[in-house]
Amino acid sequence: MTISAYWELDPAAEPQRFEPLAGRQLPGIVKSQRGPALNRFDYYAQVGSAAAQAGFSGLFIRHREEADESRVIAAAVAREVPGIVLVPEFPASVGSAVYAAKQAVSFQRSTRNRLGWAIAAAEGAADRRRSGDYIGADDLGERLEEFLTVARGVHAAQPFTFEGRHFAVKDGGFADPLNRADFPQVFLQGEDEEDLEYSARQADVHLFRASALADVSRQVETLDGLGKRTGRPVAYGLLQPVVARPFADEAQRHAERIGAPAEALVGSYDEVAARLADLAGVGISHFVFRSLPSLEEAYLVGQHVLPRLRARLSTLRVAA
Amino acid sequence: MAIDFYWRLPTHGCHSSLRTHDYDRGDWSPLRPGNIAPGPASDGGADQFAYIDHLSQIAKAAEGAGFLGGLIPSFPGTEDPWVISSLLARETSTFRFMLAFQPGFGNPVHSARAAASLQRLSGGRALFNIITGGGGPSQLWWGDSFSHDDRYGRTREWLDVFRGVWGGGSFDYDGRFYQVENAGLAPLLANEEFPEMWFSGSSDAALEVAARHADYYLSWLEPFDQLADKFDRVKERTARLGGEQKCAIRVDLVARPTEEEAWREVQIGFENVSEERRRTRTRGTDSVGAARQDALRPADATRYDDLIVAPNLWGGFNLLRGGPALGIVGSYEQCAERLDELIALGADGFILAGTPHLEEAWRVGEEVLPLLGQSGVALLQAAE
Ligand SMILES: Cc1cc2nc3c(=O)[nH]c(=O)nc-3n(C[C@H](O)[C@H](O)[C@H](O)COP(=O)(O)O)c2cc1C
Repeated sequence: MTISAYWELDPAAEPQRFEPLAGRQLPGIVKSQRGPALNRFDYYAQVGSAAAQAGFSGLFIRHREEADESRVIAAAVAREVPGIVLVPEFPASVGSAVYAAKQAVSFQRSTRNRLGWAIAAAEGAADRRRSGDYIGADDLGERLEEFLTVARGVHAAQPFTFEGRHFAVKDGGFADPLNRADFPQVFLQGEDEEDLEYSARQADVHLFRASALADVSRQVETLDGLGKRTGRPVAYGLLQPVVARPFADEAQRHAERIGAPAEALVGSYDEVAARLADLAGVGISHFVFRSLPSLEEAYLVGQHVLPRLRARLSTLRVAA
Repeated sequence: MAIDFYWRLPTHGCHSSLRTHDYDRGDWSPLRPGNIAPGPASDGGADQFAYIDHLSQIAKAAEGAGFLGGLIPSFPGTEDPWVISSLLARETSTFRFMLAFQPGFGNPVHSARAAASLQRLSGGRALFNIITGGGGPSQLWWGDSFSHDDRYGRTREWLDVFRGVWGGGSFDYDGRFYQVENAGLAPLLANEEFPEMWFSGSSDAALEVAARHADYYLSWLEPFDQLADKFDRVKERTARLGGEQKCAIRVDLVARPTEEEAWREVQIGFENVSEERRRTRTRGTDSVGAARQDALRPADATRYDDLIVAPNLWGGFNLLRGGPALGIVGSYEQCAERLDELIALGADGFILAGTPHLEEAWRVGEEVLPLLGQSGVALLQAAE
């Protein structure tokens, strides 16, 4: 099985890098020429380059209300970094589904189809009101489904007409040459039964939260069952924090320093690669890896873990 | 008083000449030898360039030739302004991105966050051309079924919210179209400069919102006395609210070393327009501005010079390319004189354009802009 490995960029996690006035200031004895010519977008581009050069297939850009908008970041990075896919995460409350689809098409045309769409999990009611999103909790799933139906619809057909509760289009649809671009691969997430049902109908890739192998395996089976009913293929992915070092104790120490979450895979390069191969064995084909600092860790994972994981998977394939 | 000069990024392909109607830059017409971005590769397919690479060339030419930036229009068949700006910000240095945007298409809080990100990314080079749509089938195409005046109500509320959350803090709003509670951009985003708002729309509903929210009131070129009257009305309305309204004009130029060469472009272009196209009028729109443009064009024009409405003013540009009808045709000196006249009647800014946009950015920047402020009109005004 071939796997797709993405590196995660969390724009809220390290906003000080490249920002002249944030982070630690240099003492006067150090001659400095840092100034407003550089800012955190240089960091995003550098992390994107790191992901590309270290062998990842894409950069997954988190939706963070408190930080830069993911699709703006994705475009800025894409123009500068060749090869990788950019997967910005954003909520289905961004606005018009037609407008979002049209932006996706423009991105695709300009980057040789290197866009993915990750729809963020809905926030709580107070956060939604802060974002100007006043629909009821019961309507969120329906809105998500209409958003994707309309976005895909205007891309696939002309004329496209749709009359829903959240979106309506009359005689829409993209004309040539806009309709020649690929629709982005859609990543959905969530652990609830309802989330899995939406994914069975709408996702290209469903992303699970990292957890124990047995849990992941069970969830994959559940979604598999739902997928058989809808008859459309869905790939499975994992949002996987990871800390890998030559020796397990070194990994442990770094994990403590950055406060890696409980579900992180922490260990030597070989141990981590072995655990990932197990996950691939139960059906996970897309891994969204993350660690901090995201630049340095992208190199560690890309240079030392991904080759080991790929080697294991090809050995397994040969053995089978 | 210095005047703002912007150029325009054509987001629906470009022609290498106003004389022909095929788009030979971009992929809006079939790929043929001589096409640019993409061009044909030796295997018969397309080469590695995309239209964004040509837009990058235009943006760099505009900044090199002395323009502050460029307007990025948005229609059903075009590239998207947010995407273009985000793609090109890092490879340009001074070019300001004027994004045409219909507010109804984006959640205002999310849009403010994206705009603040774009400001950070570009070093404060984002601004908006707020448009409110022309109604009819095109509006429904976008998934928007609001009536003309409701669209303006929504635009106004959208701008209220966008502005309200901009600097951070805690903002509440309970409007007809938008509600927010305890909203405000996060500290990381709250220090960006508020983007300038250039506002388009000719109806009463439009002027109402402009008075409240527009830094620049932007109009297509209209016959000069009509435009002077419109600017006066806009300025008066804003003055009543205690503000001072700046005005700007979006206009195409055909500028050549001699007037004769300029008219020759237009004549050949006109003669290459099919009879059928000449007779179609704008339909299916509730736009007052579009109606004002349409009124300029006698459907029965048979010669290019039937459409000359005043010295150096030609009312047939919409036959040669999408967009408004009226534009300026003349020698470099005449173009500069007409622009000086427009400045004298109240223009504080311009969005200029010419076809092909890349080469004409250099031409207008090198040949026309340097002549501004030197004609009789300008000297007379300066003497007053
Ligand atoms: C200078 C200028 C630029 C415009 N650019 C766009 C554009 O990029 N996309 C668009 O859909 N409409 C554009 N419009 C049209 C407006 O959306 C709107 O249809 C028009 O101004 C109708 O409003 P009115 O009835 O108040 O005149 C533009 C209008 C003007 C005057």
